[in-house]
Amino acid sequence: MTRLRATLYYGILWLISLCFFAPIGWIVLSSFKTQNEILAMPPKLLFSPTFDNYRALFANDGIFKQIANSVFLSLGAVIVAVVVSFLAAFCFSRFKPRGTDFLMFLLLSIRMLPGPAVILPVFLMYVAFGWKDSHLWLLLFYAMFSIPFSVWILKGFLDGVSTRYDETGLVNGGSWMHIIFKVVLPQVRPGLIAAFIFNLIFVWNEYLFNFIIGGVNTQNIPYALMVGTYSDGGLNWTFISAMTSIYMVLPIVFIFIFQKYLLVGMTFGTVRGEV
Amino acid sequence: MTLEFRGIAKSYGKTKALDRLDLTVEAGSFTVLCGPPKSGKSVLFRILVGLEAPDAGQILLAGRDIAKSPPAQRPVGYVPQNFALYPHLTVAQNMAYPLTLARFPRDEIAKRVDRTAGILSITHLLAKTPDQLSGGEKQRVAVARGLLKDAEIFVLDDPLVGLDYKLRERLMDELKGLREELRATFLYATSDSLEALSMAQVLAVIDHGRILQCAPPAEVYHNPAVARALDLIGFPHANLLPGKLGGGQLVAGPLRFAAEGSGDVVLGIRPEHVRLGPAGQPARVTLVENLGGEAVVYLDLDGQPLTAAMLLLDNDPPEIDAMVGVSIDPASVLLFDATTGARRDGLQKADAHG
Repeated sequence: MTRLRATLYYGILWLISLCFFAPIGWIVLSSFKTQNEILAMPPKLLFSPTFDNYRALFANDGIFKQIANSVFLSLGAVIVAVVVSFLAAFCFSRFKPRGTDFLMFLLLSIRMLPGPAVILPVFLMYVAFGWKDSHLWLLLFYAMFSIPFSVWILKGFLDGVSTRYDETGLVNGGSWMHIIFKVVLPQVRPGLIAAFIFNLIFVWNEYLFNFIIGGVNTQNIPYALMVGTYSDGGLNWTFISAMTSIYMVLPIVFIFIFQKYLLVGMTFGTVRGEV
Repeated sequence: MTLEFRGIAKSYGKTKALDRLDLTVEAGSFTVLCGPPKSGKSVLFRILVGLEAPDAGQILLAGRDIAKSPPAQRPVGYVPQNFALYPHLTVAQNMAYPLTLARFPRDEIAKRVDRTAGILSITHLLAKTPDQLSGGEKQRVAVARGLLKDAEIFVLDDPLVGLDYKLRERLMDELKGLREELRATFLYATSDSLEALSMAQVLAVIDHGRILQCAPPAEVYHNPAVARALDLIGFPHANLLPGKLGGGQLVAGPLRFAAEGSGDVVLGIRPEHVRLGPAGQPARVTLVENLGGEAVVYLDLDGQPLTAAMLLLDNDPPEIDAMVGVSIDPASVLLFDATTGARRDGLQKADAHG
């Protein structure tokens, strides 16, 4: 009886998980189908896979640049954001400037602004400064947007590292640089990885700002998806499925590699996982 | 290198942690700082290693004031009260840490780590990480790391606290061995006065941020400078009885001694000087702690609590509620001023009148 219940229980869990996975499975399978097979009713589960969609996708030269832009902007912005946030969070955690809590609140308040509300002033500013369509300035914009939340995540982790470790480092002749990077950093690795992945997902999926304050040079994959969808007059399903399948690779790879850190990271270190 | 604290003051808000503390530590000595928790031991050590700045005062090391030097420039090794072992390093790497930071050659580091690990019998732990160690093992690794610094003064802040009795005994022996090996100056804090008495060459009694007395442990024990030092050092705790001098005698409850002088005093009597027998002042036994070889007997002497320690050779300790006779050798009574707590001349002659 109990065995039956356990089997049933796991069966349901698998079913729910598969429901979540279904759209991903569908889009990946679709990328190997022809347009007619994709739209077939009832859906065709058995089909002979074709690579035509991918061939068509990569036949367009622009696509390589768009993928490269996405990778460069995401990784660049996130690395900048994590480095800056780690140092900022270290200062908040260790030197506790007056009004730390309020400063932390102010910092996060930028994330309470909806993008569409600020897109126009940001656009005007970027045009006025001549920053539009520049990799560097778009990257810094993304970094700016990623920093507040990263500081929050990392401060939680840094507060969990006892200052006794810092003191031992100081007494034994370590400099502050040594303490920050050799003593404290190795102990907040899950936090750094969590901040890295959260922001990576945000920047990787960002469309609006790329569209408005980016330009021809900085087009990323979401931009390509949006524009390519209607390119042949109707909905170009073969393009959408192939592009999306490529698009998902990077986040999936990172999440797969770092999944054991993610639980600890997402719970701000409150759940002590074996990492 | 002689180490000298001069007028060190430190306050946190309105709380005075150190109150113009003076202390001289002779080069090569093993000085134990003993006082109750919060008496200022840890703060003094943190100021010495440079983790806190004193509000006032000087720390003279061989005559040079180091009170404002950054911690890295002070030749002081530190074993903090909590172990603070780096979880991402192995035991060997943790121990090597001070030497690695000081850029010692690798084979020299390995040699020193091995030797210290041998003395503290933690060689079998070298490859483990701190989370695989028990409390006692962590403590030994922390001690090893502190002592491996290439320093002239080593500061150990209550390194044996929280260890079980057997382990403490063993670590105390190992520390004595290390001290001979290193030939450095040691400053050691503890709130356990027995530990202090057994380890110290020089015993400094600290209370409320001031040094009450600094002398060899036997001197502190037998000849305390103030009543509080008598109270803090020794176990079972010494008896402190209020008394009155005048008219050629000293009166403390039912006890009478012939004495000169006048004024209110406090009588300090070590428990081992309270003799129990059929004769003497009658007292009621309220509690007996039988420790096997000796017994601590708590007495009620006409409303005045009194503690006695007696050796159990072929005698049995008295029963609870029994009446026993108490006699005290006047020469063993230490006299202190009732208001200042300062030591006064003791009772030279005469005998106790029941």
